Amino acid sequence: MANPFSRWFLSERPPNCHVADLETSLDPNKTLLKVQKYKPALSDWVHYIFLGSIMLFVFITNPAPWSFKILFYCFLGTLFIIPATSQFFFNALPILTWVALYFTSSYFPDDRRPPITVKVLPAVETILYGDNLSDILATSTNSFLDILAWLPYGLFHFGAPFVVAAILFVFGPPTVLQGYAFAFGYMNLFGVIMQNVFPAAPPWYKILYGLQSANYDMHGSPGGLARIDELLGIHMYTTAFSNSSVIFGAFPSLHSGCATMEALFFCYCFPKLKPLFIAYVCWLWWSTMYLTHHYFVDLMAGSVLSYVIFQYTKYTHLPIVDTSLFCRWSYTSIEKYDISKSDPLAADSNDIESVPLSNLELDFDLNMTDEPSVSPSLFDGSTSVSRSSATSITSLGVKRA
Amino acid sequence: MRSFLLTLPKSFLGFMPLYLAVEIVLGISILNKCSGVYGILALFTGHPLDFMQWVAYLWSVFTLIIFSQGLYLIHKPNLLLFSQICALYTLDTLFTCFFTLWFTTQWFTLEDTAGGVASQSNNSNLISTERLTVRNTDISKQSATESYEYSITILITLVSLIFRFYFNLILASFVQELLHHPKYLVDRDDVEQNLKNKPIWKRLYAKSQKGCYKLCKNLLN
Repeated sequence: MANPFSRWFLSERPPNCHVADLETSLDPNKTLLKVQKYKPALSDWVHYIFLGSIMLFVFITNPAPWSFKILFYCFLGTLFIIPATSQFFFNALPILTWVALYFTSSYFPDDRRPPITVKVLPAVETILYGDNLSDILATSTNSFLDILAWLPYGLFHFGAPFVVAAILFVFGPPTVLQGYAFAFGYMNLFGVIMQNVFPAAPPWYKILYGLQSANYDMHGSPGGLARIDELLGIHMYTTAFSNSSVIFGAFPSLHSGCATMEALFFCYCFPKLKPLFIAYVCWLWWSTMYLTHHYFVDLMAGSVLSYVIFQYTKYTHLPIVDTSLFCRWSYTSIEKYDISKSDPLAADSNDIESVPLSNLELDFDLNMTDEPSVSPSLFDGSTSVSRSSATSITSLGVKRA
Repeated sequence: MRSFLLTLPKSFLGFMPLYLAVEIVLGISILNKCSGVYGILALFTGHPLDFMQWVAYLWSVFTLIIFSQGLYLIHKPNLLLFSQICALYTLDTLFTCFFTLWFTTQWFTLEDTAGGVASQSNNSNLISTERLTVRNTDISKQSATESYEYSITILITLVSLIFRFYFNLILASFVQELLHHPKYLVDRDDVEQNLKNKPIWKRLYAKSQKGCYKLCKNLLN
């Protein structure tokens, strides 16, 4: 069948190669057999116990009727046990856990919640970054900037995770989507936990109420998005943000976290377009501050969280990208990072030049230009390496990293 | 000097190779240094900035450019560049300590004046607040107390500074390892290359790298 799909995506596919194949079986026994053979490492234990305990917490605290909750969990269990669905849903476990916790967190009783801080974020912002950057950017507003800010914050942010997932699935190496689900889910999960443990007021609060103390009876504000509602003649953002259950979830900014995570994955898979992805993150940062939804310190918390989780995922989960290949079906094998092999400081026993040098050898002065150059001698010991040959090896040696 | 060297961490958090740490250190620093770019946008928005803010933002942009190169070359490091980054990061740590102190005093003087205004406006809202208290006596418990706000502010500031010092040691340790590694020896001819026909900023840049390399070699070797 020479349909466009096989013409475009399967043209480079190596014969008899099944790394990119998807599971189509509906037989639960297959999954059960896999579970029996599975030997979890310590990190797997930590992963499943952590996510499992949050799922259990959600199961107990969510105010929905018990029958609903049991039915829902049974449904999830079924999705996990059927191989065809399990390959997507089970790998999305961190995302499902985050979503479950997020929708439950609005039902936490007010008297059990930690106190809301109003001054911490503007104070830390001024101390670390010199001023309230949100104030700086929101000083002058106009309709053009409003629209420019609304696009990434109010529109792209909600669609981007799905678009990125689809593109990574098709054009990235096989299993990259698993890594994306892991990193994206954990980042949001940690973010929501932090927002609940440390409720803090966003910049619009300071504009509306100054540094007055806050309480959970207060309504949220759409900040700069109110101008978009006005412009488009709708009431969407004002209603959504006024009744939002996470009014004081300014720290960390998950808008920033998501954008950074998406950009990091795209930069990883499509390094040629790096400037474009960096520009998107910068655009989104500007818009969150311009719309007075976040301080710069919130954005940093979100991005740093994303970056650290991405780095961990990159070295432990992600397959290595071959930029010369077109899509997932072009790959013949899946290779992962070898942390010790990619270490630029690692001594390679096969490399004759990597023998440690004495300090004496390193002790030359850069300014001694009139000194005659030392030519390598046959009689030099193994520790005496000529500088020119050492550098020439550098250019060869690094390729192995 | 030797006693100082002994204290340099040989791995990140005790178990990760240094290059992973440097990648994280530089990434986090670069993200934070973006603040400079947004600060400078005050030029277009008309928000007033004082002299120290200008210095802080311009300095951030400068360090952003230098650190970015390091992140780009982390898998094939070059001793001259990393010496420069290490020296600049150390200088930046000193600057950060100074800026932190400076802006802390700025914030608290600002807050004192703003607090006065806020308490006046609070008086006019007194009636409505009283009504709220009658309805829900626990409402005041939902907001953080002054001391809680202060302690969290101080905690975040101190934690970020402590991380900074640790990150600085990590970078120094990485440069030290590079200095000891035969693969990364600096070739004298490379350094002494003819820069006469290059633009002045390139010459200055090469000169600064050389200076930083010498400094690192003296301090860390």
